[in-house]
Amino acid sequence: MPDQTAERSLVGSAPGTPEPETSAGESKIALVLEKLSFRNISALYIFAAIFIVFSIWVPETFLAESTWRSLIDSQAITALIAVGVVLAISAGAFNLAVGSEVGVGAILVAYFLSTAGFPIWLSILLTVVAGGLIGVASGLLITVARIDSFIATLGVSSVLLAGISWVSSDQQILSLSSSFTAIGRTQFLGFTMPVWIMIAVAIAVWYLLERTPAGRYIYATGGNIDAARLSGIRTKWVIILSLAGCGMIVALGGLLLTSTIGTGDPTIGPPYLLPAFTAVFLGSTQFRGGRINVLGTVVVVYVLQAGVKGFQLAGAPTWIPELFNGVALLVAVGLAKYQRRTQESHALLRLLRIDRPKKGDQPATDA
Amino acid sequence: MTGISATQKNTGGPRLLKVDGVIKDFPGLRALNRVSFELRSGEVLAVVGQNGCGKSTLVKVLAGVYKADGGDFTVEDAGGGEPVQMHFIHQTRALIPSMTTIENLALGRAPESRTSLAKRRERRRAERLIGEFGLHFDVTKPISEISPAERTIVAIVRALDGWTRPEGVLVLDEPTAELHGEEAEKLFEVVRQVAAGGAGVIFISHRLDEVMALADRVLALRDGAVVGHVSTAECDHDQLIHMIVGRRLEQVERRPSRVGDVVLEARGVGGGSVVDVDLTLREGEILGLGGIVGSGRETLVGLLFGAHRRERGEVEIDGRRLPKDNITASIANRVAYVPADRAAEGAVMEMSVRENLTLPGLRGFRRAFGWLDLRSEAKEVSKWTKLVNLRPVMPSRRLDLFSGGNQQKVVIAKWLRMEPRALLLEEPTQGVDIGAKVAIYELLQQAAAGGAGVLLASADAKELTAVCDRVLVMRDGRIVAEAVGTGLSEAHLLKEELGLSIDQLNTRPSDNEEEILA
Repeated sequence: MPDQTAERSLVGSAPGTPEPETSAGESKIALVLEKLSFRNISALYIFAAIFIVFSIWVPETFLAESTWRSLIDSQAITALIAVGVVLAISAGAFNLAVGSEVGVGAILVAYFLSTAGFPIWLSILLTVVAGGLIGVASGLLITVARIDSFIATLGVSSVLLAGISWVSSDQQILSLSSSFTAIGRTQFLGFTMPVWIMIAVAIAVWYLLERTPAGRYIYATGGNIDAARLSGIRTKWVIILSLAGCGMIVALGGLLLTSTIGTGDPTIGPPYLLPAFTAVFLGSTQFRGGRINVLGTVVVVYVLQAGVKGFQLAGAPTWIPELFNGVALLVAVGLAKYQRRTQESHALLRLLRIDRPKKGDQPATDA
Repeated sequence: MTGISATQKNTGGPRLLKVDGVIKDFPGLRALNRVSFELRSGEVLAVVGQNGCGKSTLVKVLAGVYKADGGDFTVEDAGGGEPVQMHFIHQTRALIPSMTTIENLALGRAPESRTSLAKRRERRRAERLIGEFGLHFDVTKPISEISPAERTIVAIVRALDGWTRPEGVLVLDEPTAELHGEEAEKLFEVVRQVAAGGAGVIFISHRLDEVMALADRVLALRDGAVVGHVSTAECDHDQLIHMIVGRRLEQVERRPSRVGDVVLEARGVGGGSVVDVDLTLREGEILGLGGIVGSGRETLVGLLFGAHRRERGEVEIDGRRLPKDNITASIANRVAYVPADRAAEGAVMEMSVRENLTLPGLRGFRRAFGWLDLRSEAKEVSKWTKLVNLRPVMPSRRLDLFSGGNQQKVVIAKWLRMEPRALLLEEPTQGVDIGAKVAIYELLQQAAAGGAGVLLASADAKELTAVCDRVLVMRDGRIVAEAVGTGLSEAHLLKEELGLSIDQLNTRPSDNEEEILA
């Protein structure tokens, strides 16, 4: 039907108004300015500030190549876990079991390798599959049992901790083969393998979210599950599969942790929950105007760590990093909310302006 | 519109508020241009105009949210050196949904002791305050469980309760956006009583018929300027529309429809408030569905689509049986559904126009490796934004930054893109200004002309009579009447909806179809 009708101009315009064919608001320059605005890439500006301050304050250590190399290596797994969280939260599932899932990945791989004596490839495969199954279970609790995602994953998290404790008897699992620990420690083109694995996974998740219909379905489900469902999206599957993907990535993160430190540590997972969530929410204020996204998340992990590292090198007390992370999160998200409000009021003005179009109509961007 | 002068109806009451040449500028835009009017005690002044005419800016200036850039408004002295009190009731009412009427009415007052005696006193007080307006409803129910009209009334009662004297100014901003027929009437009765008690009421509304029924005077705004200021006794609907729009809207043109084969057939469908419904929708027809709140009208459309649980009956589309409660199958069979609640169900407000438009049928843009072909998507989207005349033309802007009318155009466009055989809509023009309303009606007619069957459920009998070829009326979960041709009048539909006999019916005499545009 629409094709025949497409040719005709159908709809009477709002009365007395000339027809702007294209809006000035989509102009290229405005879009570039918008992209470079503080609101959109505040993390990069903050990074520049951090870099300048510490370069002056502690130049010999902060500017050392080894500092940056270790920074990039040490945060690769945090970034990887945060990318997993991006997948879950984009679909609207607040996966609070992430920390425990990291722990499961860390302990299971050690268990398979040492206690069960499986070969390395099988241990890795089983661990990642286990992470995926945990995600599926959480997804079923949310979609079929209809438990709110906060509560469902909180419950799952507790169950997983019990499982970790049971499998490991609260002991570290030692004596892992050197060929396994090599995965986390081998360098390739100047960086350890976890960095490259993180980059590969981040690109895959970015591609999925930004460049495939599946990604659109995930964002739509996270944005408004009812509207998504009524548009024909199978939202239950979207949630279950997103959580499964998250579980696999996060278990991979746990596995890499074990490989890096050389022991299966039952307590290693849970502390990763907060940094990952911080990065995801802070990352959502970057690049995509409030939408949770992979690039923002990864960038934020490193910007925060650059700040933390600077403070450490400058000899700041140990509580500074926590404080820095917390304040950064609150300030960035608070600022984004404030700017969203001004953006909305500007949009309101634009609507008012429609009835009397003006030349040089600028989009409602603000500095 | 200089033709209509500001006639002043002498209501006799003392002046409460004088607005004198108020100007409000935003960068590159004059939102209010020398707006002047007066409000007297005992009168209801309606402020009307299209979206973006300056209504909300005016309210915000009065409320002190914006500072006027020129001109001024003065609130009169209520006696004893105290200015007249003003109270604003917005669409989003400042009541706490989880608390009861009693608790909401007691909010902000000094806490009484929590003895059962004090509680009983609070309760009696709430009942008395509500009862003063001749109303009785359960004041112990949480606000979220009472009807929208009752909620608004509680908000009004609370506002008045805080006044030291009855001569205040009450500003109601779109209070009836979600109210239907008798519900709205209930609210009007309260507003009339408030005015009769000496208050001045400013009533902001999209719905012109309400305005005519309720207000003493009408202030019409266009592009921030006053284009009409008349007593309701001296103007009719036509003139009002003319003022607001700036030109006479052509009547929605009724093309002789070429009704073809059956597209959708329902037999014995039931579920929720729908008991047992048979209906046939044909190619090229616009079939209306009327009925009061609770008649099943609100449920039936979603039931046919599969959005609500279908407990009984069969639905066939082009002779193929539609599986139950299966939205994906419905869409695959080219059934489209525009739900009444746009923000909650119709669209993903935080996504862009583009993303919303292509959400159903996104697979058409999928290439190798799941790659989404953004270029051809953008092309398709620009075709549709042009077709539905989206304004502003910014397909990558978030949907929630558009006006209600433009949001709805996007929702309808996303389904038209799917070339539906059956287009099912619930209240598609709710919260939409006049210009966009006409645009939406034309879209529906285009769809029908293209061979789709269109099912339009609406609480607005005028809308049904003007747009539809045939109207089914629901009552108590069943279809009780069908109106076609000459039987298709507003009065007839209302009669059937309410189950009244003609002589009980008290409609205003004007039955002009052009009223639909209001």
